Amino acid sequence: MTKKELNNHRLFSEANHEALHFVTRRHFLKDSVTGLGAMALGSLLAGCDWLGSKDKSAIVFDSANPLAGKPPLFPGRAKSVIYLHMAGAPSQLELFDYKPDLIKLDGQDCPQSLLEGKRFAFIRGVPKMLGPYAHFAQRGQSGAWISEHLPHLTTVVDELSFLKAVKTDQFNHAPAQLLMHTGSARLGRPSIGAWASYGLGTENSNLPAFVVLTSGGRNPDAGKSVWGSGFLPSVYQGVQCRSEGDPVLFINNPEGISNDMRKASIDAINEVNQRSYKEFKDPEILSRISQYEMAYKMQMSVPEAMDISDEPAYIHEMYGTHPGKESFANNALLARKLVEKGVRYVQLFDWGWDSHGTSAGDSLEISFVNKCRSVDRATTALLLDLKQRGLLDETLVVWGGEFGRTPMQENREGKVQAYKGRDHHAEAFTIWMAGGGIKKGTSYGETDPVGYSAISGQVSPYDIQSTILNQLGFNHETFTYEFQGRNFKLTDVYGRVINEIIA
Amino acid sequence: MKIKISKKLLLLSSTLLTALIVTTSLIGHKKVDYNTEVKPLFNKKCISCHGGVKKESGFSLLFRSEALGKTESGKPAIIPGDPDKSEMIRRITTNDPEDRMPYKHDPLSDKEIDMLKQWIKEGAQWGDHWAYVKIKPVAVPDISGGFFGSDASGRKWVKNEVDNFIYAKLKEEKLTPSAQAEKATLARRVSLDITGLPPTAEMVKKFENDNQPEAYERLVENLLASPQYGERWTAMWLDLARYADSKGYEKDGYRSIWRYRDWLINAFNSDMPYDRFLTEQLAGDLMPNPTNEQLIATAFSRNSMNNDEGGTDNEEFRTSEVIDRVNTTWETMLGTTFACVQCHSHPYDPFKHEEYYKFMAFFNNTRDEDVPGDYPVLREFKEEDQKKFDFLKKWLLENASNEQAHEMMTFAKTWQPAIYSYHADNFINSQLSEVYLAFRKDASCRLPEVPLNSRSQLTFRYTSGIADGKWEIHIDSINGRTIGTSILPLTKGWSIHTISITPTEGVHDLYFTYTNPHAKKGTQDNLAVFDWFSFSSAFPGKGTSGYDSAYAYYTHLIVADAKQQTPIMMENPKEMFRPTHLFIRGSWLNKGPEEQPDVPHSLNPMPANAPKNRLGLAMWLTSKDNPLTARTMVNRIWEQLMGKGIVETLEDLGTQGIPPTHQQLLDWLSWKFIYEDKWSIKKLVKRIVMSATYRQTSVVSDEMLKKDPFNKFYARGPRVRLTAEQIRDQALAVSGLLSHKMFGKSVMPYQPRGIWRSPYDGNVWEKSTGEDQYRRAIYTYWKRTSPYPTMLSFDATAREVCLARRIATNTPLQALATLNDNAFLEMARHLATRMEKEGGNDAAMQISKGYEMTMFHPVSREKLEALLKLYNKAVIAFEKDKDKACEMINRGNDNTDPGKAALILVANAMLNLDEFITKN
Repeated sequence: MTKKELNNHRLFSEANHEALHFVTRRHFLKDSVTGLGAMALGSLLAGCDWLGSKDKSAIVFDSANPLAGKPPLFPGRAKSVIYLHMAGAPSQLELFDYKPDLIKLDGQDCPQSLLEGKRFAFIRGVPKMLGPYAHFAQRGQSGAWISEHLPHLTTVVDELSFLKAVKTDQFNHAPAQLLMHTGSARLGRPSIGAWASYGLGTENSNLPAFVVLTSGGRNPDAGKSVWGSGFLPSVYQGVQCRSEGDPVLFINNPEGISNDMRKASIDAINEVNQRSYKEFKDPEILSRISQYEMAYKMQMSVPEAMDISDEPAYIHEMYGTHPGKESFANNALLARKLVEKGVRYVQLFDWGWDSHGTSAGDSLEISFVNKCRSVDRATTALLLDLKQRGLLDETLVVWGGEFGRTPMQENREGKVQAYKGRDHHAEAFTIWMAGGGIKKGTSYGETDPVGYSAISGQVSPYDIQSTILNQLGFNHETFTYEFQGRNFKLTDVYGRVINEIIA
Repeated sequence: MKIKISKKLLLLSSTLLTALIVTTSLIGHKKVDYNTEVKPLFNKKCISCHGGVKKESGFSLLFRSEALGKTESGKPAIIPGDPDKSEMIRRITTNDPEDRMPYKHDPLSDKEIDMLKQWIKEGAQWGDHWAYVKIKPVAVPDISGGFFGSDASGRKWVKNEVDNFIYAKLKEEKLTPSAQAEKATLARRVSLDITGLPPTAEMVKKFENDNQPEAYERLVENLLASPQYGERWTAMWLDLARYADSKGYEKDGYRSIWRYRDWLINAFNSDMPYDRFLTEQLAGDLMPNPTNEQLIATAFSRNSMNNDEGGTDNEEFRTSEVIDRVNTTWETMLGTTFACVQCHSHPYDPFKHEEYYKFMAFFNNTRDEDVPGDYPVLREFKEEDQKKFDFLKKWLLENASNEQAHEMMTFAKTWQPAIYSYHADNFINSQLSEVYLAFRKDASCRLPEVPLNSRSQLTFRYTSGIADGKWEIHIDSINGRTIGTSILPLTKGWSIHTISITPTEGVHDLYFTYTNPHAKKGTQDNLAVFDWFSFSSAFPGKGTSGYDSAYAYYTHLIVADAKQQTPIMMENPKEMFRPTHLFIRGSWLNKGPEEQPDVPHSLNPMPANAPKNRLGLAMWLTSKDNPLTARTMVNRIWEQLMGKGIVETLEDLGTQGIPPTHQQLLDWLSWKFIYEDKWSIKKLVKRIVMSATYRQTSVVSDEMLKKDPFNKFYARGPRVRLTAEQIRDQALAVSGLLSHKMFGKSVMPYQPRGIWRSPYDGNVWEKSTGEDQYRRAIYTYWKRTSPYPTMLSFDATAREVCLARRIATNTPLQALATLNDNAFLEMARHLATRMEKEGGNDAAMQISKGYEMTMFHPVSREKLEALLKLYNKAVIAFEKDKDKACEMINRGNDNTDPGKAALILVANAMLNLDEFITKN
């Protein structure tokens, strides 16, 4: 190390030390009744169990280095998560939940028993049943039913674990997406990715712990709140990587500033800041110095990490990627790159799955088939690519929407629609998981003969969240954050780990 | 025995200090204090099973009456005076694992058990938490001498009574206060604190040259009087009021509510007393003859989120808004987290489950119902129309009964009371299009339970693309008596019409039928769409002079385009009263008994003359007996100025909050705030910034850092990072770009492309032009699903819900924003131009000047050297790379002056310095 690096190193550790002070102070104030010494030591020696502490929920928030890599509360099966969210909610009845009885009922009036006491987003009066607009076949060793719309995915069904009876209690996009990712249909709670980066930090200090990638031309309906940090410190919110402009907001120098000049100016800023530190002795200045250093490292590494153009041709062929344009395929490949580099949680949103059938642009016949085509190859490639790199075992991949679609054809405003489409449906839909310690080639949960509601193995968004946390090494019941005088959990008082799909 | 236990403790854990203190207190037979000793132990070890949420075995420790009451086993848990007979003591000491409490957890320590025994022996007295006890006058600590003899240094340091409290505590902690900060630093600090902006060079110079003792007070007075004061404190209040320019959720459409933001600025600037400030926001609409401004103040409660997404249950989201208003009121005005009482009694604090709903009843009877129009709104008329309104008002007051006059004026201004069309049902060839009632060919539907009460007119807002539709209104059934008929004219967009109806007593279901001779066979088009219906009496005063023109004005004003429409609070008329029920376990679908409006019994009762509505609630809240209102605000102001609250948890002064560092000071300031300053916020701010405590230098010694790393005892001045708003405003100010334009619709300064990508609406970020690009941050358009990114990275929030306290973080994304955001580069360019202009020809002088422009004191040699080194490096680089130089200067011409480009880079660096983004 040069003298300067040594000096910086020292400043770093000093800053960290100060930050620990900060953290322990809260504990001290809270626990002063039972003893200052025990608590302070407990935090300082987090991870060492010699005090016999049973409080395994304690995550140390280190304000100087909030994203430092941390071990989970118990050894997890997955080191990272790639969550592929099809925003708008894809139809399970055209993809995974094969309902031959529904073919027979096609065009008939929906029985009153399915309508009484129910609310729908757009269905009014008595709608007609709608048979699946897809051909299904059993695939793989597991014999999973899967439709022709996902020809590539059929080749890897034996890697997947289907949850066929997911039930949510929200039938509007924004609240349902919030529920799926933050455990609450209202705004203001941290997203699961934020919880993961709070609990685990990042393995790569040059990259954010939680990255969000969007495709389909729009952000998801609930906006940035679905990857927000809620009441957790804002550093844990998802960092949105963009296809247009800077890959991370403000990561590139403005025109006129070269990397060398940026380096020189950060050096100058930090030199002045060190003078200020000598003057004020405020430890926060040291942490600012380290953040500017980190910012520079990010400037140097993020554009490269976000650039998929240097991937070999066969990889591009595999994913169907075209560097430089916004697409789900590009994001899927990027997700693999990021996970490989130590990012904990990669959240993809692909917008445009809201197949109501009011026009060709949201029809099951046209737009839905196109959407399937745009994700099928890349999703499959992602699984195969992770597998060939030995990463699938430690990467949990989740695929799904925020709710399902009705077995009835939508009749918005009581009218016959020009195209085939289905309304929002909260009662039952399909989500699949793969990798990260999840069973291969299995299916859990079943719906009734028309796919309206669960008849067995029903799971909730909370159960899915509990399972994801479990695979990362956290018990959803003890992984808490204190806010407004309460220990908050991602899953509130709900949630059950879906052991049936865990390998 | 006690001593032996303590020794054991010493060995077990390294709690040397605590153990010693406890041992001493036990030996000394000091009476056990419920609040500081018993309650924290209950909260930690017992209350999760025996509290407000769960009452295992019928036993709860929340209230004394419950704790001493009957348990399921029949054995009293606590018998005051008799620990040995108290079942609780037996259960915490028994060896039987099935019986021993805390159940399946580690036993209490012997020390804790002894403490509880002693407490029961002493009578098991409950104590009220300090924050729930009325504020009493507090004696200012005497630091003139006392035990240690004369204390000249203390006397010399103290500037006002605040300092007595601080000094007394410092002395206890064996800390010495710091000297006053240098004048320039102090001027910058106090200017940023009071106005949110840095001082001007002239202000600093004047202050530095003014050697009279009142120099600082003069500076403070000037700052308090500047219009920027209101803007700065409004920025604080907007987080509490969860103010945004959009409604939230999926659609997140525009909401025109900026008049409320402007109301706040005016209220702060005119130093509206805090009790009135709160009253107008909570209940401006219920004050006698409310002004438009008082109505706008109630938009405080209307900042809750609206869900306009298709198919949403309006009642669900209306309920969620009401709950949000309750929680916001508590967190903002009462420093208490009330949200948990929604589902069960407060687990720790003395609030019962039903009390949440009694409180909610104050808010649950308003006209808003989560409809896209954000009704009720105040329609502020354009100037010409306002004259008409003034005439109408005068005429009505002279020629109609007060009640009639009021009814007509209210309707003209607000279109209320109205029944929103989504209440319709029994649709045949009709339906709800979004939330609007739509008729197709040969349509019918029902509007249930309409209070007609002999009214003779129906006014409605509708749109129809086809003429001659015949709309009939039948009573009680589709074939019932027709009480009104209208041939609906073709409209261009929304239109408002009035028809006469046959006056009918009482409440009835109305059945609508609609036919249209021009409707094509088989058409499924919506032929007429309705927004709302309002039943009213006829315009009064027929036959009196001026009737014709008054009525003409009235009908004109109803349809006139308003200048602004601001959502406001408005109470339901009697006939539309909405009862409030308790929600069992917080679920709005699971309703319990009806509740009447009331305040929690553990706090002061409602004043005798207070009505049981929001106005009465405001009277209760601003009563001198309310223990929380003043403390909450004083604590908040202290936090804004000193960096941290006296109670650090601004959102919770109760037992779950962090205990206060200087409770006596908080109470003293609160008492002054109410009784002496008559709720003047400016006086409160002044009182704090005039203290020696505030004026101290923030330079810290190693020793002080060791003794008090977080400045809990205030032996030095505050040093905190500026807020997101201050960071933007300050950079604009020093670069000379800042516009001082106040008020008006929110603006859209530069932000990178592609930030807003919201589904289903055409809303786009359209960069403002002219000075609107450089307005203060509080005027920046705040979209909940996509807030302004640079401010977001500096810990601003989406303003979805009330936020009492921003936690400052320190992240690389912040550095990236101020380094690379083009908005900041543009400010650097302008700063560099100022440096050139005012600094002379020499780069060192220009840089020194730039430093003074940003920091108001001369640059040190070392800092200048570092910046100059950057400058010299940059000059060489820009000489080599003319293109980069040209881009850097960005004058739209071919200026490639490497010196200028290098100066911009230095200016960019200066806007990133720690001392620049920090209040020193």
